[in-house]
Amino acid sequence: MTLSVDIAATFTAPGAAQFEVEGTFDVEDGETVAILGPSGSGKTLLLETVAGFHSHSGRVALDGQDLTGREPEHRDFGFVFQDYALFPHMTVAENVRYGGKYYEETGDVNALVERLGIADLLERYPPTLSGGEKQRVALARSLYVTPDVLLLDEPLSSLDVPTRERLRSDMLDILEDVTSVYVTHDRTTGRMLADRVLVVDDGEIVQRGTPTDIFERPASPFVAEFTGSNCLSLSEPRLREAIGVKNGAEWLAIRPEHVRLDNGTADVEARVKRVVRVDSMYRVSLSVGSERIEMHTTEPPEPDSSVGISFEESGRTLL
Amino acid sequence: MSAPPTADIEHERSGAVDLLPRGALVVLFVLVQIVAFSAAYLASIPTAYAVFVVVSVAATAYAANEGVFGILTAIFGSVLLIAIGLPLALFVARQNPSLIMEQAADPGVHKMLYFSVYGPLLAAIGSLVFGVPLALLLARGFPGQSVVSSLVDLPLVVPHSAAGILILFGFGEGGAFPQLSILGTVVGAVLAMIFVSAPYAVNSAREAFESIDDRTEYASRIHGANRAETFRRITGPLALRGILTGGVLAWARSVSEFGAVAIVAYSVRFFYPPEGSVVIGQHAPIAIRSAYLTGGLEESGAVTFLLLVLSTAVFLLIRWLAYDSSGPSGGLP
Repeated sequence: MTLSVDIAATFTAPGAAQFEVEGTFDVEDGETVAILGPSGSGKTLLLETVAGFHSHSGRVALDGQDLTGREPEHRDFGFVFQDYALFPHMTVAENVRYGGKYYEETGDVNALVERLGIADLLERYPPTLSGGEKQRVALARSLYVTPDVLLLDEPLSSLDVPTRERLRSDMLDILEDVTSVYVTHDRTTGRMLADRVLVVDDGEIVQRGTPTDIFERPASPFVAEFTGSNCLSLSEPRLREAIGVKNGAEWLAIRPEHVRLDNGTADVEARVKRVVRVDSMYRVSLSVGSERIEMHTTEPPEPDSSVGISFEESGRTLL
Repeated sequence: MSAPPTADIEHERSGAVDLLPRGALVVLFVLVQIVAFSAAYLASIPTAYAVFVVVSVAATAYAANEGVFGILTAIFGSVLLIAIGLPLALFVARQNPSLIMEQAADPGVHKMLYFSVYGPLLAAIGSLVFGVPLALLLARGFPGQSVVSSLVDLPLVVPHSAAGILILFGFGEGGAFPQLSILGTVVGAVLAMIFVSAPYAVNSAREAFESIDDRTEYASRIHGANRAETFRRITGPLALRGILTGGVLAWARSVSEFGAVAIVAYSVRFFYPPEGSVVIGQHAPIAIRSAYLTGGLEESGAVTFLLLVLSTAVFLLIRWLAYDSSGPSGGLP
């Protein structure tokens, strides 16, 4: 099933300015597309509009069939919500089977609950479950109706870190063959799960591509910063000279992993501001003039020392 | 991830009262109050009991290590409880059992009690049948919602005798639905009761609907249920407690309504099943006033006692049906 979206919608909240959301994108059969953007960028509204929860102009189609005028219950989508949206007065089993009444074809509930690790929770009520368990139930509820497209709105962001990491790795298997749109503000999740990524800012898509495209070749300082690259102003003369800018580029985007400590043929000298241990490596904050540079290394320099650094040629993006 | 158990927090604060289990403590406190009240009543010094309540509540707060703020809160709170509870306690204590039995055997009182449960019940059902859909619309929001919302709340600020006049203008002679006879009829009395009690039903249901996250309903819709099915399976059951609370409030408000009913149906003709015929009776608040004017405090007190017992019984019955048969999270299975 291929989902085609070309929509625009306007939202008004009491006491707030109008907010417009628009998006044009396709999701190929079996593909996972991540909509990546900061809080308040409109990515959830975009997903909810695709689901049919809000009126919109434009078109939503599935394999060429127009779904635009259809109510959410006639779109054959699944939806997993950030805060689970389980039915608190129904048991886990009743939650999972909720949509069974309305669909001719449903999944094998026993296999599904086994696969998601919730088989021993079936008689429990949602308020007695942990966050991770709730989200597994919500996933089961959506997968049970074998939707044509699965829409996921930040399903991991309400979970604590270990639970999130466990479920994220399970998601890799769950989403493998499912046509899905995955909204997240977490770049790690977006990069890990998506076949393609759409970056959203202020209600519109500002860059689209494979995760490598987006993360290695950001199209704007916003995308660079949001995806975790250093975004360095080339108004700093030492940086400009170091990388030999000839055109009118104003910014250098480079990921922390493409910055190297280099005492031989360094591009530029930097001052070590801070060294923080993160898991098995060190995150080093450096400064060149007024510009801050982040890098990762296993051999940390001394704080307040001067070090030579170089920017890997292949990792540089001039903006 | 989960909140710390409340028992632990309470344990840290508890002082001398911790020596007894909570349930036993409550029973002991109530027993002490009953003994103190009985002693003060028999000694004909009810004022002494009022003072005792404040002192005993303050002492309990002190024993529970509630601190100066907790003791002051308990003292101020107990003053209001005296204002509500003491008249009730003295009222019950001062009743003449033989007069109550005499009133309880009076067929006229039976008719009054019958109508005072039945009329308000019709009003509560009417308020819910038409009020719940309105509450749902108000919870969802629509253009002009604030005007409609104000209109719903209007009966709360209109003097109730004025409400009776409004109803006569609206639906009485020369008003809408001329074929509808409202003066002195069940329809008129129930209309008056709905006018004053519907805001409670609408607002309670509205709050219940507003407390349901939109996304819970979205989840129902996206997994195949249409709007009506979503209401039947999700919104309705989740709001049931609030809807029933609204119904109970509307019923209780209707039972106590005097002003509007006195204007529209001072005496009311209604079908009385035990006699199998239409009889003429009065709504309880009106009957109590009549009894007070003609028979004085003693006679009206006996009628009031019977009404209080009946109202409390119905109230407890509805609460039991509504709350104790619900599922773990408040809805129906």
